[in-house]
Amino acid sequence: MFKRIRKRLVFLLGRGSRREVDEELEFHLEQQVGANVAAGMTPSEARRQAVIAFGGVERTREQCREVRPGYRVETLLQVVRYALRGFRRNPVFTVMVVVTLMLGIGATTAVFSVVDRILFRALPYAHADRLVSVGLVQSLEKQEFMLGGFYYDWRANQRPFEAMTAENAVTGECDLTEGNPAQLSCPRVEASFLPTLGISPALGRNFLPEEDRPGGPKVVLISYGLWMTHYNRDPGVLNKTIDIDGKPVRVVGVLPKEFEMPRLQAADVLFPLAANEATDRKSNSGLGGPKRVFARLKPGVSAEQARAELEPLFEQTQKWIPAEIRSNFKLKVRSLRDRQMQDVRLTAWVLLGTVFAVLLIACANVASLLMARGAARQRELAVRSALGASRGRLVSQALTEALVLSLAGAVAGWILAQGLLHVFLALAPASIPYLDRVQIDLRIVGFAVVLSIVCGLLFGLAPALQRPSGEMLTGRSLTSVSHASVRQWLVVAQIAASMVLLTVAMLLLRSFWNLQDQQLGMRADNTLTASVTLGEHNYSTAAKKMNFFQELATRLRFGPGVSVVSVSDSLPPADGHGGMRYGEILVAGRPRSDAGPGEVVRDRWVSPEYFRALDVPIVLGEGFRDEDLGSSEHFVVLSQQLAERLFPGEDPVGKRLNFDHVSFPDAPWYTVAGVAANVKNGGLTGEEGPEFYRLRRNREEDWAGRGVWGQTAVIVVRSSLPAAETSRWIRSQVAALDPTLPVDIATLRERVSKLADQPRFQTTLVGFFAATGLVLAVIGLYGVMAFLVAQRTQEIGVRMALGAGRSDILRLVLGRSLRLIVCGVVVGLVAAVVVSRVLASLLFGVGSRDPVTYLMVTALLIVVALVATLVPARSASRVDPIVALRCE
Amino acid sequence: MPSTSDLLQGTLDLLILRTLALESMHGWGIAQRIQQASKDALQIGQGSLYPALHRLEYKGWISADWGASENNRKAKFYSLTATGKAQLKAELKDWDRLTTAIGLVLKQV
Repeated sequence: MFKRIRKRLVFLLGRGSRREVDEELEFHLEQQVGANVAAGMTPSEARRQAVIAFGGVERTREQCREVRPGYRVETLLQVVRYALRGFRRNPVFTVMVVVTLMLGIGATTAVFSVVDRILFRALPYAHADRLVSVGLVQSLEKQEFMLGGFYYDWRANQRPFEAMTAENAVTGECDLTEGNPAQLSCPRVEASFLPTLGISPALGRNFLPEEDRPGGPKVVLISYGLWMTHYNRDPGVLNKTIDIDGKPVRVVGVLPKEFEMPRLQAADVLFPLAANEATDRKSNSGLGGPKRVFARLKPGVSAEQARAELEPLFEQTQKWIPAEIRSNFKLKVRSLRDRQMQDVRLTAWVLLGTVFAVLLIACANVASLLMARGAARQRELAVRSALGASRGRLVSQALTEALVLSLAGAVAGWILAQGLLHVFLALAPASIPYLDRVQIDLRIVGFAVVLSIVCGLLFGLAPALQRPSGEMLTGRSLTSVSHASVRQWLVVAQIAASMVLLTVAMLLLRSFWNLQDQQLGMRADNTLTASVTLGEHNYSTAAKKMNFFQELATRLRFGPGVSVVSVSDSLPPADGHGGMRYGEILVAGRPRSDAGPGEVVRDRWVSPEYFRALDVPIVLGEGFRDEDLGSSEHFVVLSQQLAERLFPGEDPVGKRLNFDHVSFPDAPWYTVAGVAANVKNGGLTGEEGPEFYRLRRNREEDWAGRGVWGQTAVIVVRSSLPAAETSRWIRSQVAALDPTLPVDIATLRERVSKLADQPRFQTTLVGFFAATGLVLAVIGLYGVMAFLVAQRTQEIGVRMALGAGRSDILRLVLGRSLRLIVCGVVVGLVAAVVVSRVLASLLFGVGSRDPVTYLMVTALLIVVALVATLVPARSASRVDPIVALRCE
Repeated sequence: MPSTSDLLQGTLDLLILRTLALESMHGWGIAQRIQQASKDALQIGQGSLYPALHRLEYKGWISADWGASENNRKAKFYSLTATGKAQLKAELKDWDRLTTAIGLVLKQV
């Protein structure tokens, strides 16, 4: 066996066996000569006769080689060697093809790897395509939510779902108070939660129904991560009692490693929701506690059908909502994937589209280059064919060349993709989920490589397949003319595609500039912000929260270089957490308005220094005074926009307003203390809306807010020292008060810029692809024009000999090129108008048919394309007629 | 039925295997032996002999070794392997069946 393998290896290596065959044949010949001599011939005659009888040696040699098992490999190696030699002779062609493939494959792979996670990622749930998020939406909360009473009624009477389940609307923090204390994220879910999602614990079991009842046994499920970091993956953690928020709870299970909450929030410990239906229905002014609800559709039911079937239930429960705001509530059912990805989907599709356009341009380039090479090599093919190369050999040669090029391009592209992916990840906004886990997907590399091979083959094989006729040997070609016209169409398509790409990129770029340029209504420099969320266990009362933040603010005020410190519950330009509808605001001395809910009015709780810290001018009245902090009266500052809406032509200062009467009939009245200038408050892209600021006094009632938002405050510190130094100072002061608290520190500018992360991401990416596409298209155009000029050298020579001037030739070539460019631009303009409509929702402050953009793109493309033509055109005009005519 | 060329090729293989069944031999010897045995009716040219020998060698039916010829020159000697012997037996049987069958047909018609 071993001997046989060794023998095969010897055959494969092959060199020695050729000599062996020669020796063997030589021996045969000698024997024949010997036999002839023995038969009585003279030695020279004997040899002559023997050689004649012997016949051609070369053919025997060849046949001996062909029967060898290594023959195919050897031929392949030979073909590859030949191909490589060809590439070395023609480095410009080779580099152009490989670079084109690299850009095409690299860009496609990198982007597809990113987009794949967004659009096509398999959610870690059983039959995830049947999971939907169900609930109400309203202008204050655009993500589906449910209220207790609604949920119980719907769950009892619904038909489209196999199961419905709920988690608490807001995921709270809880503290692990044993061993290594830590602040954890602790969602509360129903016992039906995991079964509905189709998840079983990695260890232990799900909650039992009796554990999901009020007063039931205190049990939790812990995440795989917590199990690993705090319990060393010890299976003994099951049934162990651990201390959370100072109370003992029993661990009944460990969640699977890949588990994630349907809303993608962190989850370290799952508690049973343990809702008491009767009390839950009465809470929240009789609406029931807020929840997030997910459901599993019955097989064959779509989200739209489910929504239609839920409509009667929705109509019924609507009557519980106060009449003033009823019309503001809508029913929404959407797939879990949509819920998770939000508006990232559109970005993903735009990227995918861009990258396909680039890939098409790249393929067109490869095709065009290979066709040009094929046309230039017709003569060579004819010669090889005349020398006895079989058609199979020529075809395999073409195949091999395409494969070698694709392989080189694929390797280069893979490297480029790795680099690009790093850049993408650095640019990517945190709001795109799972981007950090992206890696190059080999399937995608394979796809791009196959695509490039296919387009290489389609056009690389064409010249090899036609049997070269003897006529080719003369050097005149007829077929290349038809190829040239195909190539011209390819160039038109390339220009059209880059036109679309450039338009999309330019629109996004202008939109991004508008975003960056807008007036925020506040000053963002020299300002640091620190966001602190207090644990609900250690800071369970309003007094504790108030004391902590006031103590922290006092400490910070005496910091080096600090001029102002303010404490508020949120900061612009991001959307605040709270807010209400315009129709809910009651003005003392006026009847309740019945104008309907109206638009959203944002509100924030602020300390008196807030306006100074952000440099928002008070345009009317005094604003908040420090002595108001101890007052029993409630004070409010209105934004200019809100003041003008509520009190047109009146002085609002001193007027009294009530904000919460819809939910709390005995809600306090607020006195207007001033009017502040408008501030950008709907995110960077959102409309600037009306807003009011409540003074957070030194009274517990102003700190009573519950949940994560109630536990969180943002501290703004304006300091003359560098941000890094102040940042260290803030951190040390927080740690001095409570070392376990996490602090999120960023300059205000960073916070603002973070809001522009996603537009920046898509703009950079699309811009990069547009530039790539343009470069490729220009290479393509240059290649075609250079080829046409080379083909028509003789004709140009004749024209010049007959008296055409240089400028005539220049005009001839440029005119030809201009025709292609204009064709491409026109087709591209039409396509761009159609395509850019999709972008409308991504654009800010620029229409999808912005004429300036179209003009700029058209001009840019025409100029760049003409420059690309100028080089071959000039070389055409320099043709020496004598040399050209001698070519004949 | 194999096609004509297959039959011819197969026949040459059979002749070579049969010749080598007696003793190991170099290519020239094989050709001479076949020529003598067939009373000069079958003359095997080097152009078909050596590719056939190489093919049989790669199939593992015969093996080759360098040795000294009767006039003391370096020559490649071929000999039958175990598989080659089995193959020869099988092919002889096939050949017998075929010739008998053809003979029967020819006699009857």
